[in-house]
Amino acid sequence: MADETAQNFELSEEDRLRADWYMLLAQLLREPPQEHDLAGLRKLEGDDSLLGEAIASLAAAAKATDQAKLKREYHDLFIGIGQGELLPYGSYYLTGFLHEKPLAKLRGEMNQLGIRRADSVAEPEDHIAALCEMMAGLINGAFSQDGVPVPLATQRQFYETHIGCWAPRFFEDLEAAPSAAFYMPVGTIGRLFLAVEAQAFDMAA
Amino acid sequence: MSTKEAKSMDRRGFFKSAGIGAGAIGGAAVLAVAGKGAEAAEPVKSPTAAGYRETEHVKKYYELSKF
Repeated sequence: MADETAQNFELSEEDRLRADWYMLLAQLLREPPQEHDLAGLRKLEGDDSLLGEAIASLAAAAKATDQAKLKREYHDLFIGIGQGELLPYGSYYLTGFLHEKPLAKLRGEMNQLGIRRADSVAEPEDHIAALCEMMAGLINGAFSQDGVPVPLATQRQFYETHIGCWAPRFFEDLEAAPSAAFYMPVGTIGRLFLAVEAQAFDMAA
Repeated sequence: MSTKEAKSMDRRGFFKSAGIGAGAIGGAAVLAVAGKGAEAAEPVKSPTAAGYRETEHVKKYYELSKF
């Protein structure tokens, strides 16, 4: 656990929220939500902001599906027979192929940042869910021994090198994918949230 | 106020106006509903490399593709 230093360090409200949004995206995209999670998602209420409206759509989509349907949808979108409708990997979006240079670059940077893939995970590290999870950890300090987040400049560099250059297109594709029902508002949330992130990074530069 | 502080305040204001609190929900509430996924995703210390942490993600893919 991230000990005393972490307790002394207070995460700002907006950084806590940023990390939460990334974790939400990571959780929704890592695997189809379980029944228990769906029940919670159905209760969400959004406000009249764009993100709030997307959250309301997500709640509606969660009401319109169940776990079996969701498993099928997830399978059709991301796994498929041979290949799903979408390949949610940075390397694929950037080069047209899996396991290409962008993945090697990411692995190098993860090494520097002290992050590595869990042994139990077979998927390459440039999967969108993994990248969202890494961003959350960089923002809230989960990957630092002292629990202190990495500086904003490092977050920005990581974002721009590994996420900002392709994930917005992925989320647009997800919104438009033939099988996307529950995942359509997930695509919207991802697209909107990353646009906010990109703009905010520009402001800090 | 330094330029750095001003920028950080702008940024804070921007996040607020962009609705990342999303009014009614707020990120924390969203995360809470996503439930146990949050725990599975907790980075854990690797026993072999002190200071290194692991991320855990996307492990059900192959299981699902058995259908």
